[in-house]
Amino acid sequence: MSVRRTGTAAVAVLCLTLTAAGCSKREAGSATGGDGSTLSASEIKVALVPGGPHPYFQPWKDAGAEEGKELGLSEVTFNETAGWDQTKQNDVLSSLAAQGYNAFGIFGVSPENINSTFTDLTDQGFQVASLASCPAGDENKAAFCLATDVEVAAYRAAQAAIEAMGGEGSLVHLTGNRVDSNTQRRIAGVEKAVSETGGKVELIQTVTDIDVDLQSAQRAVADLLAAKGGDIDGIVTTAYNPAVAAAEGVKEAGLPIKVVAIDDDPSIISGVEEGSVAATVTQNPVGQAKVGTYALSKLLEGCTMKEPGVAVDSGSFVVTSDNVATYDDERSAKTDELMTAFQDDYLSC
Amino acid sequence: MNRKSTATPRGGPETDVQPPRLDAPVPDDGHGPEGTAAERVGPRAAGLPWWANPRVGLVVVIAVLVLGFSSARPAFLDVELTLVPLQRDIAVFAVVGLAQLAALSLGHMNLAVGRMAALAAFSAGLCYDRFGAPLVVGLVVALVVGALVGALAGGIITATGVNSFVVTLALDFGLLGVVALLYDRFAGGVAFSVRPPGLDALRSDTFSDYCAGSVCGPPVPLLVPFALVALLAVGLFFGRTRQGREILMTGSSPRAARASGIPVGRRIVTAHALSGLLAGLAGFMLATANGAFSASIGESFLLPSFLAPVLGGTLLAGGAVSAFGTVLGATLTSVIQKGLNLLQFEADALQIFIGVVLVVALSLDRIRQVLAERRGVRP
Repeated sequence: MSVRRTGTAAVAVLCLTLTAAGCSKREAGSATGGDGSTLSASEIKVALVPGGPHPYFQPWKDAGAEEGKELGLSEVTFNETAGWDQTKQNDVLSSLAAQGYNAFGIFGVSPENINSTFTDLTDQGFQVASLASCPAGDENKAAFCLATDVEVAAYRAAQAAIEAMGGEGSLVHLTGNRVDSNTQRRIAGVEKAVSETGGKVELIQTVTDIDVDLQSAQRAVADLLAAKGGDIDGIVTTAYNPAVAAAEGVKEAGLPIKVVAIDDDPSIISGVEEGSVAATVTQNPVGQAKVGTYALSKLLEGCTMKEPGVAVDSGSFVVTSDNVATYDDERSAKTDELMTAFQDDYLSC
Repeated sequence: MNRKSTATPRGGPETDVQPPRLDAPVPDDGHGPEGTAAERVGPRAAGLPWWANPRVGLVVVIAVLVLGFSSARPAFLDVELTLVPLQRDIAVFAVVGLAQLAALSLGHMNLAVGRMAALAAFSAGLCYDRFGAPLVVGLVVALVVGALVGALAGGIITATGVNSFVVTLALDFGLLGVVALLYDRFAGGVAFSVRPPGLDALRSDTFSDYCAGSVCGPPVPLLVPFALVALLAVGLFFGRTRQGREILMTGSSPRAARASGIPVGRRIVTAHALSGLLAGLAGFMLATANGAFSASIGESFLLPSFLAPVLGGTLLAGGAVSAFGTVLGATLTSVIQKGLNLLQFEADALQIFIGVVLVVALSLDRIRQVLAERRGVRP
């Protein structure tokens, strides 16, 4: 009782004293160095950190490791324990930094917060790249952003769907987390393609928040087809789980709906091959990990970005039955092209 | 009317009619359910051996884990990269835990704790964005909005008599949509990009960045005092104020509380308002820690909000709370998470190990209780 009261009073007095003493803030930047010093390849440890476990990021693991081996880096690790939670991801990143990792390729869980995370890391002398997603807004505090331009990819997917529908009819858009700025950009991309038809194509519904897992996506697709399957001419999906669910659902229901999917899950690719999926838009995760690891290591070796924070499109590829056998060559070619672009245009060594 | 003509204890929850002589303050003699309430919130659990106190067990488990993790990975003791972020996490999740504790004190639940935080963070963000409000005004607005939404939940529970689980679950769904719509309407997306002066300092500075002469403060993030104030306030509220004790009595037995003349309905509203207020504070703190007032604030609050108080000895059934134990519970879960991150567990293994460590921690607690009972002491 009296002890506690005394304690409270002591805290209050301390606070007042500190305020009255007019504490001054220490100059920042003196505590940690890192900037300016260059590292050799064998001192470089790169961490590729997606927002959480997702099939999209799996190619990062091998692509990053291979590139690391080729460049003679000390280590390239892949850590997907962030669990789609920005707080946890920040925790994972600081833990990796504490263990000596000095370059980070990050897919930020929430694009609107991620610049703060980037600033934290760069202030401590680490090199950071934003991979597979750029921060929301116009600013990027990472050295560079290497990602699919999601609005362009969604726009191209919607165009492919509209073309498959014969240029008219009703379209449905299935996508992911509504409160994610990337989803907002995907929605904008689809709306742009629809508005370009001058009213011939109507976007009758945009279903969000169904990329959590395959089951919820399947349920949403089943509900959608049961409710208005007969009125729908095309479905465009801009997230992984809805894409797989829509491809399967439409095939099972035997409806004449044109589905445009995203990414290259085996079930989607086989759908494209046999014609039940009109097209799919694939992205370039291998290129992101490979080129990202390369550029990060060069930055630690002393190169600088000619234009810090530059956003580079890692490419999106419309795959139809015509090019389903050869799209991977196109993708490798894009990766090589990106590598050259970084060497010649983006990096200054 | 007959409403005034009787003094039976069966009045409605809002009744001011109190039975004669039953309007006594909470007894402090340690008997009956009220005694349980007083025991846990008091500075010392009367009649229990020290080792049967769940807080002691938590401190031991935390100490063992810190020793283990730091010997396996010396980086665990890295101040800038491990200890400072760890303290920030603990501060946020301790406040989240305290928000749930306020509802648990009644034996209620607040499943909307994350969404209340989101709405509060939105309100703060709106003040900064639209009105250029200073940092502290946004904080106050966040607290008020949180408290109002909490009071609304409490009011609905009291007025309808529907279980708090159902009411707050429904509120959570409702707020999920409201928050998304509000951001869409007022932020043109999913976050406010504005950063009021002082936000960056509050986010990333520690007291060691501030010096009086050559003496600098400890490496404690500026967010930590927010949690300390919340801890102190909640501890004092339940341990030292009449309202707090009446809430705990209501949690132990609403019928007995009503019979003793406690305005049960109003206490339910108070407890839920406190829960909302603390959720609002947690939302503000997380928005600060993550660097943006966005719609995703609070998404990950629900499970940790239960974990921290329950680990710390707060009863799910109501009537007994431990504010300090909640902070220890939050510390334990954050330490486990940090340590396993440093050991670079794979995603699945990480979840399994967190589960195992928590089961062990809870089992130790139960073993201690059983041992205490065998020694003839009733906890």
